[in-house]
Amino acid sequence: MNIKIALSATLLFGTALSTPTFAEDVTLMEGIEPRTENNSVVEAGVYQSDAPWTIGMSHFGVNANTWTVQMAHESTAAAAADDRVENFILLDANIDQAKQVADIEDLIAQNVDLIIVTPLTPTSADAGIEAAVEAGIPVIVHTGLTETDAFTLEIQGGAQNFGRVMGEFLVDELGGKGDIWVLRGLPGHPEDINRYEGLLEAIEGTEINIVAEDVGAWQYDNGKKVCETFFLSNPSVDGIWSSGADMTRACVDVFKEFGAEIPPISGEGNNGFFGQWIEDGFASISAEYGPEQGAAGVRAAIALLEGQEMYKHYAYEPAGWDLDRVQDVYRSDLSANVWFPTSLSEERLQELYGN
Amino acid sequence: MKAVFAHLTGQNSRQGLWILPLIAGIVGFAWLAVSTDQFATPQNAKNLLAQAMPLIIVAIGQMMVVLLGGLDLSVGAVISFTTAILALDAPAAITIPAVFIAAIAIGFINGTTVTRLNVNPIIATLAMQMIIMGLTRLMRPVAGGEVPEVVKQLVSGAVFGVPFTVFWGLLVCLLAWKMLYGSRFGLHIFAIGGGIASGQSDAAHTFGIADKRTTLLAYIGCSCFAALAGIFLAGRIVSGDPNIGPPFTLDSVTAVAIGGTQLSGGVGSLHGTIIGALVLALLSNGMNLANVSAFVQTAIKGAVLLAVVAFQSRKKIGL
Repeated sequence: MNIKIALSATLLFGTALSTPTFAEDVTLMEGIEPRTENNSVVEAGVYQSDAPWTIGMSHFGVNANTWTVQMAHESTAAAAADDRVENFILLDANIDQAKQVADIEDLIAQNVDLIIVTPLTPTSADAGIEAAVEAGIPVIVHTGLTETDAFTLEIQGGAQNFGRVMGEFLVDELGGKGDIWVLRGLPGHPEDINRYEGLLEAIEGTEINIVAEDVGAWQYDNGKKVCETFFLSNPSVDGIWSSGADMTRACVDVFKEFGAEIPPISGEGNNGFFGQWIEDGFASISAEYGPEQGAAGVRAAIALLEGQEMYKHYAYEPAGWDLDRVQDVYRSDLSANVWFPTSLSEERLQELYGN
Repeated sequence: MKAVFAHLTGQNSRQGLWILPLIAGIVGFAWLAVSTDQFATPQNAKNLLAQAMPLIIVAIGQMMVVLLGGLDLSVGAVISFTTAILALDAPAAITIPAVFIAAIAIGFINGTTVTRLNVNPIIATLAMQMIIMGLTRLMRPVAGGEVPEVVKQLVSGAVFGVPFTVFWGLLVCLLAWKMLYGSRFGLHIFAIGGGIASGQSDAAHTFGIADKRTTLLAYIGCSCFAALAGIFLAGRIVSGDPNIGPPFTLDSVTAVAIGGTQLSGGVGSLHGTIIGALVLALLSNGMNLANVSAFVQTAIKGAVLLAVVAFQSRKKIGL
């Protein structure tokens, strides 16, 4: 009898220990949550694989801007932090859709354990994702939408939420009435399209008019050119919706160079912009879209390869940051090119971005 | 030794430098086959061919114009425009002819602007590139849409295990070979280009060659090859994309230059251009398989271009 009880207890204890983690228990990154509607579960153990692992990543454009560079660094650092990831292959599509198709083909040919894809356009990775899944390789998608839902897991940065947070800030600041400029990101990129959708949603039914709109490609130099052109054409503007990245900092610099008052302007979690915001004290909001998503993608990959139960869809839709929070995060000892939130170690931050 | 070097570097040859990139390609191929497990596999051979094919096609068209001392910077835009037309949700029987009608019109305008209005080819085709990109973004501001199933099948299908990409390659090479080496049109291209390269732009005209008409046809041919590359790419990405073409503009010129075609005109070869495009594709595929850091891949590509082109004198290459 005693033996039976001991066996039962051992079995129960053993079961408790070996039960896979529930999907709710996996934290990918602060602010990333399972999508609440139309979600499904990736069953535990489906993609479990014995370590060491080789993880491949098809990045839409490592050198597109400082954010994309950091996202790549966040990914490689997260992979390097886990000894079980023997090889992390990062391929750069260099803003070239045909190259992204080729890169995914090359990762499949290498028979990697898992592929992480950040798609350039809503369709650039679809065929590759479908081929990878067909070949039995799980695929994680983040930092960009796809038309296919063949992927294993996605983390979607809520670009529409991002644009809406910025748009609602302008609606509040302007009392629902006024003329705004719009600085957009990369033409055709899903992130840009959805951020813009969020803006339109926020200003719908208000008396806010878009009087000028152009593409700044999320870059400082292009953003500055666009803002200079707008300013010289008609400097009278009530607010600026900048799709983020380095364009906000560039546009603020234009107003400072012309000695004009800086109108309410939306921004994103960039250290240079934070410093500028703290110093000049203009009205702004920082929508959150951290490069740490690169690390979150790797964490999701490791969880899948460990055989943990995961959700298929994760959403990243945090609230905007105000000046108080920005003052807490700002790092005067780091360059303007670092983005927040980040999970890079202090040592790596100093190495890459130390002044 | 001097003679061997001169031969390898394509000096005094109408076909230009092509042996050296061929040797570089073979060495790279052999190294990758030995050093990586995945390179010398049927799957990767299929990948490599599909990855190289659009560049081979567009580079062949670009070479025809370069042989005449010109340059077509609108090829990338034609590729984007083609994918946008194919993704219009219309039957292939309508969209495919529409693609070629558009390409002929674009090539005709390019050729006319260069030959009749004497506009510099770089300026003329750059302006055309802007016009087409504007129209493409009007039609399809965002990547998406569905291309006809037949286009998808023509690119990704296979017959008796042989991928259709192989037939694309054979067809395009045969067509280009006939145009360049099996017709008067090809002979005239080399004659006109040779005259231009030696500083006598009307030399061919003096011998009774219709230089303006040949140049016009070369620009039309170039646009049609770009349209063909666009069809291939649309079949690969199964959608239309306004941004897919532009990288091919510079890549096609790079492939042509690597393949030994001199940008001053008159010297170059079909096989050299194909080798140039294959070397570029091999470089990209090989670096991916050899796990070369994404941060240095672009730099290596630039260094290879510099190394290959450095074997030709600046005067000869026309830059």
